[in-house]
Amino acid sequence: MTTISLTGCERVNRMFARQEQDRVPRQDTFWPETIARWQREGLTGDHTEVFRLLGADFHTICWSWPMVFPGRRELLAEDHETETVRDAWGGVARFWKHRSGTPEHISFGCDSREAWEQVYRPALLAAPSPLDPRVAVRQFREGRALGRWTHLAGVEGFEALRRLIGDEACLIGMIEDPEWIRDIVRVHTDVVLRSFEGVLAAGVQPDGLWIYGDMAYNHATLCSPAMYRELVWPAHRRMAEWAHARGMRVIYHTDGCVRDVLDLYVGAGFDCLQPIEAKAGMDIRAFAPTHGSRLAMFGNIDVMKMATNDLAAIEEEIRSKFAAGMATRGYAYHSDHSVPPQVSWDTYRAIIGFIDRYGDY
Amino acid sequence: MPGKNRGVRIYFARHPAYKIRMPQLADLTAAVAAGKRTDTVRLTQELLATGLPPQDIVERGLVPGMAIVGEQFKRNEIFVPEMLVAARSMKEALKILEPLLATAGIKPKYTAIIGTVQGDLHDIGKNLISMMWRGANFAVVDLGTNVSPERYLAAAKEHQAHIVGLSALLTTTMPAMKETVRIIKAAGLPNTRIMIGGAPITQAFADDIGADGYAADAGTAVDIAKKLVAEAA
Repeated sequence: MTTISLTGCERVNRMFARQEQDRVPRQDTFWPETIARWQREGLTGDHTEVFRLLGADFHTICWSWPMVFPGRRELLAEDHETETVRDAWGGVARFWKHRSGTPEHISFGCDSREAWEQVYRPALLAAPSPLDPRVAVRQFREGRALGRWTHLAGVEGFEALRRLIGDEACLIGMIEDPEWIRDIVRVHTDVVLRSFEGVLAAGVQPDGLWIYGDMAYNHATLCSPAMYRELVWPAHRRMAEWAHARGMRVIYHTDGCVRDVLDLYVGAGFDCLQPIEAKAGMDIRAFAPTHGSRLAMFGNIDVMKMATNDLAAIEEEIRSKFAAGMATRGYAYHSDHSVPPQVSWDTYRAIIGFIDRYGDY
Repeated sequence: MPGKNRGVRIYFARHPAYKIRMPQLADLTAAVAAGKRTDTVRLTQELLATGLPPQDIVERGLVPGMAIVGEQFKRNEIFVPEMLVAARSMKEALKILEPLLATAGIKPKYTAIIGTVQGDLHDIGKNLISMMWRGANFAVVDLGTNVSPERYLAAAKEHQAHIVGLSALLTTTMPAMKETVRIIKAAGLPNTRIMIGGAPITQAFADDIGADGYAADAGTAVDIAKKLVAEAA
């Protein structure tokens, strides 16, 4: 058992360096309905109080997802549950009014290469930065004051593609018009990095970059590893190189089964993978031994097991996966997605206890 | 019918490919599997011109092509983009064939209802399954997203569905799946089988809520649907 005591920032940096730590770093994500349930069951406060009880180590400074038409939100229709709007990406989407969840994308304004080149590409390049440097400075200072590992966050090209032109056009375009796809990814990456430059220019010195992009589902990656390597990976590598050149580590977020692209992630320069979705067949007990020295593992604790509220099963899940991850010193706790409202507050408090029990080095 | 055969001969005598060989169903199967839309449409028209019945073109040309796609997808030899272009090729061919089939009064043997369950607006998984079921020559009625249990039941009755497919992406909407299965089962539709799928869904969950089948992916969804309708027959 180690005797050192570290700040969150020191702890996470040591995880990346595979150096001695006092305990595994921790972070988590919750559905709003989960927090609402826990408040009914005795939680005083909101998710920030859960972070305090958990001992969260990460702190987001800003979130960059450039929009083509910032501020646009034209209400087209509504019923008692949903509203349909033309949004800031030029598409039409249906959103829930009173609950969380991703929207239904009904149509996409950027529906052809011509639309991209004539309207959307120039508009995206001309749009103001999605980031307010003053807010980022305030968040950075708050994170530092809490001793946490501060990071920029932003969406990468594949996720941006799907939001801008839709899954079908994106995935068919990867076969039929790869240069169009490559251009969207390239331009989006330019705009994201430019927004981060504005934040750094304001004096923010983040510890890392957390890139978000869901490129897989429960069976495999949405496109082949070769197609990913050809069309999206160069932009991933550019983001990682940008971050590394500024002294930052890189976390890559993707849901789904990404077993077959772990080596490509290492090659892109990603330092860490999150959240490692167990229900998509991802299991760090299998690949921490093979990839853990090159790619830190962040997450993989199965929310479906949490949702059973079966404490013995949850404890075994945490015990066995922590053992695999901690063997490399490159492991941080996170659920494998977002903690769902089927998990009781008593269960989550027990989970924090298991993390305490099995997460100390 | 001599006149018809003569027309076919004239057609192919003028066709640039004639000197090579007559169009084959195997060529159509290969074109669909490779997602070659232009070739698929051309071969469909050429096979029709030979006098081959549209139903044969569907069942012996197009459906085997999508079956190849399903198998390759299950083995991770191809991915969603390749599946999409194959399904689109088949769709283009069906645009030519379906009016002819309708005129002849020929319908797919089985009907499937599909939707994303109440509380869930995701649709990519549902859409992929729809494509693959159509590719297996099921008539598919897509109810869209956020479908209530009552709408599933009403549609199952109206269309005399052999399969009802429930999709969910979120753990938060899995209870709606359970309720939908309960309501459809309670209605006692003798020939209707319920399949479920989606990111958080497992065989254990399917068993737990009483669904008849669980599909882990779009390729498997075809196998399971075929198995269920065969068992129900």
